[in-house]
Amino acid sequence: MKKRLPAAILLLLVLGGVVALRLSRYDYAFQDRDATMAPSTVRHWTGTDELGRDRTVRVAAALLIDLTGATVAAALTTAMAAAFGLLAAFSPRWVAAILMFLSDAFLSLPWLFLLMMVRSVLPLTASPLQTAVTTFLVLAALGWPACARAIYRGALVLRSADWMIQGHACGLKPRQLIRLHLVPHLRPLFLPQFLICIPAFIMAEANLGALGLGVAEPMPSWGAMLQELDNSTLLARSHWVYLPIALLVVVLLMLESFTTEAETHA
Amino acid sequence: MTIVTRAGRTLLLMLFAGAGTILLVRFAPGFFSDSREMDAKYAAAARAEMQAQNNQQPAAPLIVIHEVKSWLHGDLGQSRQYNVPVVQLLGARARVSAVLLARGISLGWLLAACTALPISRLPQGGLLWGAPFTLLLSIPTAAMATACILSNAGGPVLVLSLLIAARDFKFLRSILHGAWRSPHLLQGRAQGLPAWALLRMHILPNVTPQLCALTTLSIVTALGAVVPIEVIFTVPGLGQLAWSAVMNRDLPVLVAVSLLMACVVGFAGMLSTRTVTLEAA
Repeated sequence: MKKRLPAAILLLLVLGGVVALRLSRYDYAFQDRDATMAPSTVRHWTGTDELGRDRTVRVAAALLIDLTGATVAAALTTAMAAAFGLLAAFSPRWVAAILMFLSDAFLSLPWLFLLMMVRSVLPLTASPLQTAVTTFLVLAALGWPACARAIYRGALVLRSADWMIQGHACGLKPRQLIRLHLVPHLRPLFLPQFLICIPAFIMAEANLGALGLGVAEPMPSWGAMLQELDNSTLLARSHWVYLPIALLVVVLLMLESFTTEAETHA
Repeated sequence: MTIVTRAGRTLLLMLFAGAGTILLVRFAPGFFSDSREMDAKYAAAARAEMQAQNNQQPAAPLIVIHEVKSWLHGDLGQSRQYNVPVVQLLGARARVSAVLLARGISLGWLLAACTALPISRLPQGGLLWGAPFTLLLSIPTAAMATACILSNAGGPVLVLSLLIAARDFKFLRSILHGAWRSPHLLQGRAQGLPAWALLRMHILPNVTPQLCALTTLSIVTALGAVVPIEVIFTVPGLGQLAWSAVMNRDLPVLVAVSLLMACVVGFAGMLSTRTVTLEAA
C-alpha cells in the first residue's frame, strides 16, 4: 500500500511527459524567437526560456531523459556490483582481496571530482547525446563499489549456508548453484541497491548539470534546467521557472520512499 | 588489523587512486583538446598537431612514475589556466575550503544531533518529525544554494550544514533509537537514572564507533557538496578552483585537487576503521 501512491505518481508523471512530447508541435530544441522568456501563453503553456524554447516540452523531455538514464545506469551499476560481489565471494581469498581493494580504491575517490574530471576530458566536439550517455555511463561506472561490498557480504553469508553445502554435496556445479539458489536469495539485496542508485544518479546529474558539466545543450536535463534559476529577468517574468525544480523534488521524494521501503525489507 | 597496517593500506589505496587518475586523464580522448578544434579553419591542422602530441607520450608506467616523483618533490605541475605552480593555487584556497567544511560539518552535526536525540526517544511519530530532513535530501545542493541567494537568506555554511544535517539525521536517529532501547538502558531507566547520565555513561561510549563512521560519511558528503556551494556563492576555495579548472580544461589543477580530496577521504576513512578496531580489541 505504501508503495502504490509513489508508484502511481511516478507513472502519472512519466505518462504526462510522454503525452506532452507527443502532443506538442515543438521540438525540445526549437527556438521561438518571437517568444523569448515568455510567460504562460496558449502557445507555450508554461512559458519559454531565454532562447524561446517551450518549457513544457523541455521539462517533459528532461524528466524522461533523466529517469531513463538513471534507471539504465542503476541497472548497469547493480549488474557490475553483483558480478564483482559474487566473483569475490566465490573466488580464492587472494582474488577476493584484490577485488575488494579495487572497490576501496574507487570508494576513496570523491564522486563529484571524478565525474567532473571525466566530463572535462571529453573532446570539445562531443555531441549532446554523447555527453548524456557519457554522464550516465560514468555514474554507472562509479556507483558499483559500495553496492559490490554489500553484495559481497551477503554472498559470503550465503556461501556457508547449510543448503549451499547440501547443494555442493549433491554434485551441483557452481554455475547451477549461483543461478538456481544464490541469485534468488540475493535478489532482496539487489533490489535495494538498484533503487538507491536511481535517485542518487538523478541528484548527481542535477548537480553536475547546474554547474554546466552534465548533459550538453540543447538536450534538456534537470541540471541544465536548474541553471535557469540564475536568470533574474526570467524569474521576475514567470513563476513557471520553478517548475523543473518542483518536479525534480517530487520525483526524488517518490523515489526516496521506494528506497526507504526497500531498505526496510532488505 | 593494526593501525600501521591500516595506514599502509590507506597509503597504497591513495597511490593506486593517484596512478589511476593520472592514467585516466592522460589517455582520455580530450586531454590534448583545445579551442582550435572548434574552428573549422584550423580544425584539421589542430587535430594533426594533437595527434602528434599524443603519439609523443611515453608509456603509461613511465608517466605514472614521473608524475609521482614530481609530487614527492612537491611539484604538482603548472596550471594551464593561470600559468602558476599548482601548489601556489592550492595553498590559499585549501584554508578557505577547510574553514567552510569545518563550520558546515559542525553546524550540521549540531542540528542533526539536537533533532535526532529527542526524536529517537519517541515511541512513534519519528517519521513525521523527520519529514523536513527527507525533503532536504530531495533538493539538489545547487538548487538549495540558489534558493538561499534568491531569498537573500543564509550562506554557504547554512547550505552545507543543512545538507549534512539531512544526511546524518537519518543515521543518528537510527543509531540512537537502537541505543535507547537496549536492555541495559531500560534497566538504567527503570532505576531512575537521569537521561543525561544515561547518555554520557552508556549511550555515547557504545555508539562512538558508529559516530566515527558517520563522521567519515559527513566528510565525504561535504567534499562532494563543496563544489556547487563554492561556485554558486563564489567562495574562493578548492571547489571553485576545481570547477574553474574543469571549465578551462586545466587538468594539472584538477588532478591535484582530486588527489587532495582522495587523501582527505582516505584519512577520514582511517578514523572510522581505527575506532572500530580499538572497540573490537
